[in-house]
Formats: sequence, structure tokens, C-alpha cells
Amino acid sequence: MSFSERMLKIDRRIIFVVIGLCTLLPLLYPVGLPIKISPEVRSVYDYMESLPPHSVFLLSIDFDPASKPELHPQAVALLRHAFRKDLRVVAMTLWVSGTGMAEQLVTQMAQEAGKENGKDYVFLGWSPGGSAVIINMGQDLYTAFPSDYGGRATKGLPVLDGVYSLKDVTYAVSLGAGVPGVEAWYVFGKDKYKFELAGGCTGVMAPGLYPLLRSGQINGLIGGLRGAAEYESLIGQKGRAVAGMDAQSATHLAIIVLVVICNLFYFSLRRQAKLQSQRSS
Amino acid sequence: MRRQLPLLITMIAGLTFAAQYYIPHPQSEQMLTSVTKWLQIIGGFALILGVSSLFQQHAVKIRRKESGWGYSLVLYAGIVGTIVAGLLANGKESVDGSMTAFGWVYSFMMVPLQGTMFAILAFFIASAAYRSFRARSREAAVLLIAAVIVMMGRVPLGEYMLPISGDVSQWILNVLNASVRRAILIGVSLGAVALSFKIIFGVERSYLGGGKE
Repeated sequence: MSFSERMLKIDRRIIFVVIGLCTLLPLLYPVGLPIKISPEVRSVYDYMESLPPHSVFLLSIDFDPASKPELHPQAVALLRHAFRKDLRVVAMTLWVSGTGMAEQLVTQMAQEAGKENGKDYVFLGWSPGGSAVIINMGQDLYTAFPSDYGGRATKGLPVLDGVYSLKDVTYAVSLGAGVPGVEAWYVFGKDKYKFELAGGCTGVMAPGLYPLLRSGQINGLIGGLRGAAEYESLIGQKGRAVAGMDAQSATHLAIIVLVVICNLFYFSLRRQAKLQSQRSS
Repeated sequence: MRRQLPLLITMIAGLTFAAQYYIPHPQSEQMLTSVTKWLQIIGGFALILGVSSLFQQHAVKIRRKESGWGYSLVLYAGIVGTIVAGLLANGKESVDGSMTAFGWVYSFMMVPLQGTMFAILAFFIASAAYRSFRARSREAAVLLIAAVIVMMGRVPLGEYMLPISGDVSQWILNVLNASVRRAILIGVSLGAVALSFKIIFGVERSYLGGGKE
């Protein structure tokens, strides 16, 4: 077996070690490269900035712990921004497996900002039905969520004063890791009940949501850890996403180098085979 | 009649709710709300069906001691343990600020396990990219170059090394990717509309399952 052949069939554990080191070392020794802000993330930030205090901001935390590394920092940055802007935050989830995580997240961010449950924010929790919940909320928010996650009746909560349905929501952001997620919020929510909507998603999902962005069906998109890092930079509170960008940079570069190496060996093998066939003929 | 009745129900429901979307009357909206409630109830029953089927399948595996029956036992213990913890805690992860057993299972088992599963993907993607991402043809080479540019443009280090990669990757995502995705979406949607019509008008009947007429 030639060197090129051996290299093409390299033990996968070597690749795992390379990726592991590329993730670990930048986390231990951060470089802090500057992050360029993309227009799609800026438009979410700008829209949030344009909202007057006490506007109703709905955050749908539609992901579970599997997507936590990418979407949790997005939620943290958005909540920090919303609380700083004194918006009325209505949080919920369409993913039952993400309920506990979402509750912890909202409570933690509210405590950090010194906000009061029921007055400044509410966590509605999860309701069965997936996309049907969005339709129900569009008809009557109190039928879809008669009580919040803590079991308190939603009717009469100061934070929901004047809010009867999705029509009364000023701005909604769905942080979705699949179905139901951003697309469901557009089809069953925004398109029917007319409110402004933005999305957040994992890095691999982002290319699939660009058609919604380009057509104006969503006014902004926060894609993956990079999007979260951009939002953290915009609000001036650098957190986990910015810290993770060095690790992501290193792993992306490692994968590019691996792909280039693999192609070099592949072409070297092809040339060898071609030369051999020429010699034999 | 066993065939005709489901077909009739499907046709009436299909046509009614297709029309409902275009009728913004309170009665029509109320009807939609009621039906979404039915959907939630049916979803609940589907969950019971799914869980009981899962239990049955793994019970057979354990009884017959088929290969990997130990994993089925772990699954059983996981499901039963979580259900019991959830029932005892009334579905709450914390009560008066202190974590319940259900909360413990969620925070210290489910969250790290799901996170680990997702994180492992990065390692497998790198390994798979090394083994199969080769410029075997002109089309593959174009895909490879586009992927490298997007990967560079999506991280600060890539933009630092090749400043133009950021703008080029934005263009690839916003123009090339969006237009192709839109074309696929339109195609899929037209297919879905055609299939819906076939189901509504009883041309497509495979959803009724097999069996005698």
C-alpha cells in the first residue's frame, strides 16, 4: 500500500483527536478575533432597538438540549436585549423536551435583569399540539395557555395587559432547531395574524431559511453560534458564543485542511494510476 | 361503507378547511380553534399508542433475550424511572426553588446526553469530509470550492485569512442557495398540493391501509 493510499485510509481516531484539540485549545487559550456583523443579524437587533418600551416581545424557544450549544446563547442575547429595552417578554416553547431548559433560561435572565415574573415577563411553558398551538394563540392566547408554567392564571397578569392573541404581539422571534420552528411560526402565525417575525436556528439549518429571509417573510435571521456571537457583539455583552467562535474557527480550518490534504492524496493516486496504465500500454 | 365513509369524511374535512383559510369570519375561526383542540387530543392518544408499542417491542426483545436485550432493559428502566419521577414531582423540575428528582433526571441526564449526541456530530462530519469530500468531477469540485468558501466566511479566522470570503459566502447563501432552495420549495409545495387534492377526492387511498374492500 502506497503512502497516499495509507493516508486516505487514515484511522478515524486521528481525525477525532485533531478536531478535539482544535476545539479544546482555543477554549483554553482564546484569541478573540473580531466578528463581522451580517445584515440578517443586524436587522433583528435594529428592529428590537426600534421597539418602544413595554412593547410585547414573544420568544418561542423551540429547541431541546441537543441544540443548546448553538441556540442557548442566541436566547440569552435576545433576552438580555429585550429586558434592557424594558420590553414585555412572553416566552414559551413548542418542544416539550426543551421546557425545563427554557424555564431555567428565562428565569435566570430575568433575575439578572432584576425583572419580576408576571409583571415584566411570563413563561407560558409548553402546550400540546405543535403548530396547532400557534393557531390557537392566534385565536385566543388564554385558551391556548390558560395558565403559565408556574400554574398561575394567565388572564389578569400585568405583563399580558392588552394582549389577547398573536395579533397583539409586536415582535416575535422563534429560535427553532427543527419542526415546529421558524417555518411553522411563519405559516401558522405571521402569515395569518400579521406580526413581525424573525428566526434563529442552528448553523446547518440556516441555508434552508434564507428564502424566507430574502422574501421578507422573516425580517432577520440569527444563524448558529456565529449569529449568536454577532448578537452578543451588538448588545456589547460578550458571552459563550463569542468565546466559542475561536473554537469554531479552528475546527472549520482543521476540516478545510483535512479536505485539502485528502484531495491532494486523491489526485496523487489518480496520477500514479494514469502513469501506470500509460506504461503498461 | 367501510371504505366510503372515511373517504367522505376526508373529502368534507379537506374541502372545509381549505376554504376556511380564506374565510376570516369569527365562526370560521372558531371552527378552526375547535379542530386544533381535537388535533391536540388525537396527538395525546397517538403518544399513548407510540409509548405502548415501544414497550411491547422491547418487552419481546427482553423475553426472548435477543441480541442487545440489555439496551432494551436500560430503555425500560429509563422510561419507567422518568415517568415515576415525573408523576411524583407533578411534572415540575423544581418546587420552591429546590430541584425535584424529575428535574435532576432532566438537568443531569437528558441535557448532557442530548448535548453529547449533537457534539459527536462534529467529529463524524470531519471524518466523513476527509473520506468522501473529493473533487471526483467538475460538479464535485464546484461544490467543494463553495463549501470551503462558506466554511471560511462563517468564522472570524477565515475572514481574517481571506477577507473576501465573508462577502462571497454571504452571496452564495443569499443568492445561489436561496434561489435553489426556493425552486425546491416550490416543487415540493406543488407536489404537496397535488397529493392533497388526490387524497381529498379519493384518488390516493393508501392512507386507509390494506385489507378487504
